[in-house]
Parts: sequence; structure tokens; C-alpha cells
Amino acid sequence: MKPKSKHIFLVFLTILIFFPFIFLVLLSMAPEWRFPNILPQYFGPDNWQTILRSETGLLHSFLISLLISLSVGIVSTLFGFLISRSLYYHPQRKWLNLFTYFPYILAPVVFGACLSFFFLKMGIFGNITGVIIAQFLIAFPYALIFFSSFWNKKIKSYEDLVATLGGNQWQKYSRVLFPLAKSMLLICFFQTFLISWFEYGLTSIIGVGKVQTLTIKVFLFIKEANYYYGAISSCLLIFPPVLLLYINKKYVFKNRV
Amino acid sequence: MKISKHQLGIVFFILIGVVPFFGALLYAVLYSFGIVGILNEGFTFLFWKSVFHSGDFVKSLGYSMSIALVSVILSVGGALWLAINFTRNFQSRFFSFIIYLPLAIPGIVTAFFTFQLLSKGGLFSRIFHRLGWIESASGFPDLVNDTYAIGIVLAFITLVLPFFLLLFLSVYKNENIEQLSSLAKSLGANSTQVIRRIIVPILLKKTWIVIVLYFIFLLGSYEVPLILGQEHPQMLSVLIIREIKQYDLTKISEGYAIAVMYTIMVSLAALILFLPKKKISHET
Amino acid sequence: MFLEIKNISKSYKKEKVVKNLNFSLDANLTLSVLGKSGCGKTTMLKIIAGLESSEEGEIFLDAKNITREKAEKRNTIYLYQEDLLFPHLNVFENIAFALHIRKLPEKVIITKVKTMLDNLELSGQDHKMPNELSGGQRQRVSFGRAIISNPSLLLLDEPFGSLDSLTRNKMQKLFKNLSRKYNITSIFVTHDLKEALLMGDQIGLMKEGNLKVYDSKEEFINDPGTGVQNEILFWDKLKTGESVEENNSI
Repeated sequence: MKPKSKHIFLVFLTILIFFPFIFLVLLSMAPEWRFPNILPQYFGPDNWQTILRSETGLLHSFLISLLISLSVGIVSTLFGFLISRSLYYHPQRKWLNLFTYFPYILAPVVFGACLSFFFLKMGIFGNITGVIIAQFLIAFPYALIFFSSFWNKKIKSYEDLVATLGGNQWQKYSRVLFPLAKSMLLICFFQTFLISWFEYGLTSIIGVGKVQTLTIKVFLFIKEANYYYGAISSCLLIFPPVLLLYINKKYVFKNRV
Repeated sequence: MKISKHQLGIVFFILIGVVPFFGALLYAVLYSFGIVGILNEGFTFLFWKSVFHSGDFVKSLGYSMSIALVSVILSVGGALWLAINFTRNFQSRFFSFIIYLPLAIPGIVTAFFTFQLLSKGGLFSRIFHRLGWIESASGFPDLVNDTYAIGIVLAFITLVLPFFLLLFLSVYKNENIEQLSSLAKSLGANSTQVIRRIIVPILLKKTWIVIVLYFIFLLGSYEVPLILGQEHPQMLSVLIIREIKQYDLTKISEGYAIAVMYTIMVSLAALILFLPKKKISHET
Repeated sequence: MFLEIKNISKSYKKEKVVKNLNFSLDANLTLSVLGKSGCGKTTMLKIIAGLESSEEGEIFLDAKNITREKAEKRNTIYLYQEDLLFPHLNVFENIAFALHIRKLPEKVIITKVKTMLDNLELSGQDHKMPNELSGGQRQRVSFGRAIISNPSLLLLDEPFGSLDSLTRNKMQKLFKNLSRKYNITSIFVTHDLKEALLMGDQIGLMKEGNLKVYDSKEEFINDPGTGVQNEILFWDKLKTGESVEENNSI
């Protein structure tokens, strides 16, 4: 490619990357934007004020989503870290790891449909706890697979060293293992948070419409052909990850220098 | 003490990592054979037979596989092209951040966005109308909920191409492809040969498992085909959920039969991909 | 005797890697153990440190039976060939690690670490991170971190294996000095004949899981199995100009 056409293409690529974000923000501010108008007739923050009003329940959904995703992210990351360690030290770890891939590879929505009977029996069908547990079941294998690359001979040597230096279990984790795994813990939290934040199918099955996370809202608004609210919910869905991405990226870079 | 702690970890692993999967599979198997379920009256092959007679599963499987395959091939191709031609550019401060941005968009938003652009009343239709290429919204071609799943494929590409790009860029760096390329050049290879014999083979060899995984993920994808797909045939997850969750209770068992087949299929894929390789001898 | 090892054995998958280990060591002395890789010396050290279990036998340290004691309670420190500095801590914090774990008062920690830094010839480097240090400096920090907590027994597994020969010589001298200053009792494992002779007050030879500890250095030198005679022959022949190729077995 010639340098000039390369340059033009990169400008085009930049526009392409930003386009969805700009388009969704525009759509969320333009209540009467439909065929045949290329640009919206009216444009303003009216729709966004409705977020603060309760009738759409968007603020409520945002908070529920945040609660669910934070819980799933924190619990999966912690459990994934600790249990991947147990797996690493197990003599049959290769076979045990294999089992991790079954729930990981399966479509969450199908997994959820086959599990819903058990959730019903346990009385966690259609409530937040149920949704958190269901999402945890798919985020946890991810965390396990993610951390399996952390444990190795060198980490084992560090653990042994701390033991011979007189450190107890708690000190081993708090002073050495967690600090060593810091950036991986952060990335894993970020990823499992996103798995939960983006999850639609499983949530719709286990939540049965009673737990209205943002993704559920987006789908409801699409079904009602209420595209402007749909766009607001979409914005609420995509901007927190952008923020996280920004923080995470910065953090990862800072660690490398 | 040390051992019992490990055992506790393994017990937890089995309880939350293994039991739910096999519990779910067992329930689906029992339901599909009529052993459990609201209207079922005991063991029968009826539901399995009717699934095969209607051909729904085979059709849906073929449809899903073609869509996933086309999407993965196009995404890998596009990502390779970008990674090879713009390696240096993506290292700049600005690009190294914005190429991560697409990861902030979930499937359901991608589907919604694609719909907003490509539907008959969508943005492109409006632009075509303004340009005078079509007279009314109905003149715009079917790009969503269409027979050829164009909308689904485009949405899938939007979703996974950025992942592949980031993947290839990181492999490019980690495998020292730049040095290997200059080495090949000093040995007399031209640019095309370097790309075809060095860069692409290394990138694909290091990432093929991830590529296959993404194919499987797309195969089971739900919200995108739910919004952008057509009535018939449907992608696997949409079909399974429609059968299990619909009001016609007799269909539920058939839905579970399809779910069982799908689960076994992807589990086999997991087995083939991740079966432990040759044992490494214990070091003293 | 300060350290007594009685009938220690260990196998992996039916293969005995440590066979019927019996030896003892007086306080403040260094036992150097010569052995090729795979002879079971690492396993022996890890058993003494409590990082691996033995199938039979007993270990006494300072007249106390520590065979069933956990690693963190033994007060024996095992050092790897790799320095294993904590990458998230600076030089000061690395050396102070064991003291922080024992919750010593901050003032005491500062004084002790400063003295240690002086002894290690690392004064003024306390704020550097491990990745800013050279291989020799890192190994010195690793020693300091181990010695500062006054371990009853120091177990060194090829500690200088990854250093160049010049740094290696310096480190050998430094270790001898520190050993005397801090009254260290240690087992020093190496595959380098010269290093074994230099570092040990006593010398042992490990072969296929069997350890033989010699009564004196002379005995060690005269035993043809240790390779010392071979070595002497090599240098003699070199001096007299004979062909040296055939005897170059070490």
C-alpha cells in the first residue's frame, strides 16, 4: 500500500471505530429520527432526562446490572484464582482442566435453559441471586482457564521460599501471591465483569423478565420498536466498559514500564 | 492441612465447575426421552424421532455452521490484512487505545446497531432514498432478517474481527515476527513470500485454537440471530430456546433433544481441542 | 551434633531418588555436597527444608525432631539457583521480608537491614527494584534476605550456578565472610568441584541418591570417585606437555 492510501484508510478506520458510539449517542438524543430523514429533526438531551424519571426503570436497571456484574466479577476472579491453584497442584490437573472447557464452550443460553429446572427447585429462579449464580457458573470457568497460565514452577518456588522464610498461609497470599498476580487479577476482573455486563440469553432465561438488567432492557425496547430508549440503554451499556478499558489499559501499560 | 486445603479447592471445583454442566446435560437427556417433564409419561424415543423427521436440527446446524464459518473466515482474513499492513500504525498511542474500543460493545448492542443501519427504515435506506436510488423504504434490499443472514454475518464480523486483530498483533510482537521477516528478506525472500511463508503461517499456527473456539462461540450465539435472524431456519440457540420456552408444551422435549445433541457436539470439540497431550515426565 | 539426618529415603514413581541418607553436621559449619544434576541433591535439600516429605527416616535440628514440622516452622531456609527476588518489592523490602513476617518493630528492621546492606556491599541501593540489579547483586540480596532472619540452617541449591566466573568468585568469598559473621550453618550443593572444596568445612559426594560424607578433605581428594585426582592429572599433564584429551572427563 502507498503511504497516502494507507493514511486515508487509517482515517476511514478511525471513523469506523467511532461511528457506533457516535451513532448511538445521536440516536439516544433524537426522538423523531426515522425514515426518510438522514439527520434527526429534533436533537437534544430530552431522552436522557427520562433516565432520571422512574417510569422507564433505566436507572434501576443500570444499578441492578452494576450490582450483578460487580458481584460476578469479584467472586469469579477470587474463586478462579484460588481454585486454579488447587487444580495446578493436583496430580491429575490436565484432566481436571479439560472439564473446565465444557461449560466454557457451551452457549450460556442453552446451559441456562437446561439448568433452569434446578434453579426453580432451589427457589432462585427469577431473582437477582439466581442471575448472579447463573452468570457466575459461566464466568468461573473463564477465570479458571485465565489463571491456569499464572501457576508454574517459579510461582511454586516463590511459595516454598515464603514458607521457608517463615511466612504463614495468609502472609503468603497477602504479601506475595496477590501482589505477583495483581495485573492478572485486574484483567480477569475486567473480563468477568464484562461477561456478566454483556450477558443476555442466560439472564433472560434465569431472570424470566423479573431481573431487568440493561441488556434485557435493550431487547425489550427493540421489541417495542422504541429505538430511542434502546439507544439510551445501549449507551449505558457501552460507556462503562469504555471507561474500564481506559483505566485497565493505562494500568497495564504503567506496569510494563 | 496443606493437602486438605487442596482437596477443598478440588471439591469446590467439582461443585461449581463440573456438577452444573453434567446436571444440566442429564436433565436435558431425561427430558428428551420423556422421563421427566410436565406432559411426559415415561421413556420414549418419540421426541428424538420427530426431531430427525422434521429435519429442524440438521437444517439449523447446517445454517449455523455456514454462518459461523463465513463470519470467522471473513474476520480472520480482515484481521490478518489489517495486522500485516498496519502493524506499525497500531503501535501508536492513539491506535493502540482505540483498537480496543470495539470490545466495549456487547452482542445485543451490535445487533441493535446493525438493525438501525441495515433495516428497511435504517440509516442506509434513508441515504439511498435521499440519493434517489430507491423510492420508498420497501425498495431497500433485505439485509436484516433475511434469507442469506447478511445482517447476522456483518454483526458477527463487527464483534469478532477486533478480537482477532488484537490477537494477531500480540502474537506478531511475542513471536518476533518482525525479526524473522527481516531474516527471511536477508535470505532473499520478497515481501509477498515473507507474508505467505512467514507471517501468515506463524500467526495462524499460534492462534488456530482460538479461531476454532470463536467458531464454536458463534455457532451457539443467541442474541444476534434472535434480533437479526429470520423465522426459518434459525440458528441453533434460537431454535433450542424457542422450542423449550414456547407455549406448545409438546415441543419442549424436542427442544431438549436438540440441546443434548448440540451439547454433545461442542463437548466433543472441547475434547479434541483440549485433550491432554503426551505426558511430561516428572522432574526430580 | 547440630543437624542429624537419619535414614531418609524418597522415591518418585517407584524410583528411589534419595537412598538411606545418614549424616550429621556441627553448628556454624558448611557441608558442601558435590553432585551432578539429577543425583537427588535438590530432593534431599527440599526434604530437609520441609518442602517435600520423606517416606522414612528422621531429621533432628538442634536436638529437636523436626521430621513432621511444617516448612514455615523449621527455621531452615532453602535458596534456589534462581534468586527469586520478589519483583514487586525493592531491595530494602526484599531483605526485610522475613522480619516483617515476624512483625519486628520498624526501628529494629531498619537497623538490621542497613547493617545487612553494608555487609552485602549494597549500601545506597536499597530503593532499587530487582529488575534494576545485576545478577550478582540480585544473588546478594537473596542471601541477605535469607541470612537476616537468623535461620538455624541454610540450604543452598547451586546458588551461583547462573553467575559468570568472576562474579562467582566474588560471591564465594562474600558468602564465606557472611557465614562467619552471622554464624551460619549450611549445606551447600554444587556440581563444581573447585567450589565444593572452597566452600565446605566438610565435603560430601552425592551419586544416584547416595550421599557419602568424607571425614576429611584429604580423604575426599584421594578418593578416585570424586574426580579430584583426574583433575590434578589433567593439569600435571598440561604442564608437562602430554596429550590431555583422553583424561578430560570432568
